[in-house]
Amino acid sequence: MSGRRIVVTSGKGGVGKTTTTVNVGAALAKRGHKVVLVDTDIGLRNLDLVLGLEKKIVFDLVEVIEGRCQLRQALIRDKRFESLAMLPAAQTREKEAVTEDQMKAVIVELAESADFVLIDCPAGIEHGFRSAIAGAAEAIVVTTPEVSAIRDADRVVGKLQAAGLPFRLIVNRVRPEMVKTGDMMSVEDVCEILSGELLGIVPDDEEVIDTTNRGEPIVLDETKRLAAIYDKIARRLGGELVPFTNLDEPGFFGRLKTLWKVG
Amino acid sequence: MIRAIDEPSGAAENVPPLGRAIVITSGKGGVGKTTTVANVGTALAARGARVVLVDADVGLRNLDIVLGLESRVKFHVLDVLEEKASLDEALVRDKRNETLYLLAAAQTREKEDVDTAQMKALIETLRARFDYVLIDCPAGIEMGFKNAIVGAQHAIIVCTPEVSAVRDADRVVGLLPNDWRPELIVNRLRPQLVRKGKMLSVDDVNGILRLPLLGVIADEPNVIVASNRGEPLALDPTSETGSAYRAIAAKIAGEDVAAPVVREPSGGLFAKFGTLFGGRG
Repeated sequence: MSGRRIVVTSGKGGVGKTTTTVNVGAALAKRGHKVVLVDTDIGLRNLDLVLGLEKKIVFDLVEVIEGRCQLRQALIRDKRFESLAMLPAAQTREKEAVTEDQMKAVIVELAESADFVLIDCPAGIEHGFRSAIAGAAEAIVVTTPEVSAIRDADRVVGKLQAAGLPFRLIVNRVRPEMVKTGDMMSVEDVCEILSGELLGIVPDDEEVIDTTNRGEPIVLDETKRLAAIYDKIARRLGGELVPFTNLDEPGFFGRLKTLWKVG
Repeated sequence: MIRAIDEPSGAAENVPPLGRAIVITSGKGGVGKTTTVANVGTALAARGARVVLVDADVGLRNLDIVLGLESRVKFHVLDVLEEKASLDEALVRDKRNETLYLLAAAQTREKEDVDTAQMKALIETLRARFDYVLIDCPAGIEMGFKNAIVGAQHAIIVCTPEVSAVRDADRVVGLLPNDWRPELIVNRLRPQLVRKGKMLSVDDVNGILRLPLLGVIADEPNVIVASNRGEPLALDPTSETGSAYRAIAAKIAGEDVAAPVVREPSGGLFAKFGTLFGGRG
């Protein structure tokens, strides 16, 4: 049976696509799933840095597609996890070096021997976006509670729907104290605007900056609060019904209650 | 009135000097390009300069929101290029600054719809009417990037103190014309994290990029609030961030401004960082 092919996308850059891909992928791998992460941001790759595997790159996605190496030669195993591998993007090539059909063929081939193929999409909605979604069967839309990020996510949702891809939402970098003071949109507001099903809520946490710079996925350290949050996302992705109320910041639901009262 | 200073007035006395077209770019998305354009543009206009902000992010425009002008946009860049609207019809005047204008991007079109030669001509036309043309570049290095830099003479690179942002910025510098001398704004610095060795310092960032430093902007939650409200911080006299943007504007206008003061020693924790860019790739 072939594995799931999921693209992680957003429209706006810098909302946390790569961080999400790495941590959701690592959390899935920790649960025993076989996971491959694919960096499709040709020319501006970063997945290797966030995983801390940048020095191990020998071949890349474009070289696979051009037949210069075997797919398995380009895959980099992450030794910290039993079953996690990465396919890096080329850094000195253009996105146009890969067609949608070529990308799809690689993703489908990877899914033959993996439970999950997570595709890290570039920012924007140009050629790189189109080829990143070409091989996917479903999508995770990452957004932050900011007007500009939500507007861009809305554009992407329209394009995903046109391509027939179902999607779920991860609302990233939520600051409960700002939601409470009315300076930040609530998760409920975001989901309503994008009319999407919620997959996860990730609070803003400065640990992410540090772990990213070090190339250590935050889920490696189980004492970090985000590790538990990404694990819940991995479980939901696997089909488990995991409630949002237990662990996520009380602030979100404090706000929700007030909204109900007012409404 | 502040005039662009890099254009010699030339022999033709009656031809006014052209303004400066500056592209604000980064490679990586979400590092603060649009916020920088809105704030630096606002600060330049507050000094009396005539400024137009051009949103080059066709399909994913946001500059109108950050300026609070989204409901006033009637026409966009592509309408002008396709002669469906005149430039005067498409220019949206800012609510607060008489001399600040926005030229919005098309929201429901594709970046590939923009003709590079036409974009270049449009920027030239704008330079004849404005002292500064600030171009808000889309993320990435695809067609949208190429169209955003085509009419500019100068670039400001926005970078956050993160390895991925620095790597992308380094790539973008390499894609700019060789005779440009791009300047750097380090955005979202958290000095307390730098002190703890948990964030790259300005020196770490610029040790890799080696660009003239135009400014340093600290990370503060007010930026998100201001963006959501469409009120650039550059106008807030009590905001430190606003004052940092005003200093950047003064520097662009040719004033001699002291170097940014936010400098933190790096703890040597980022030894790995230096090797990132020498590898295969």
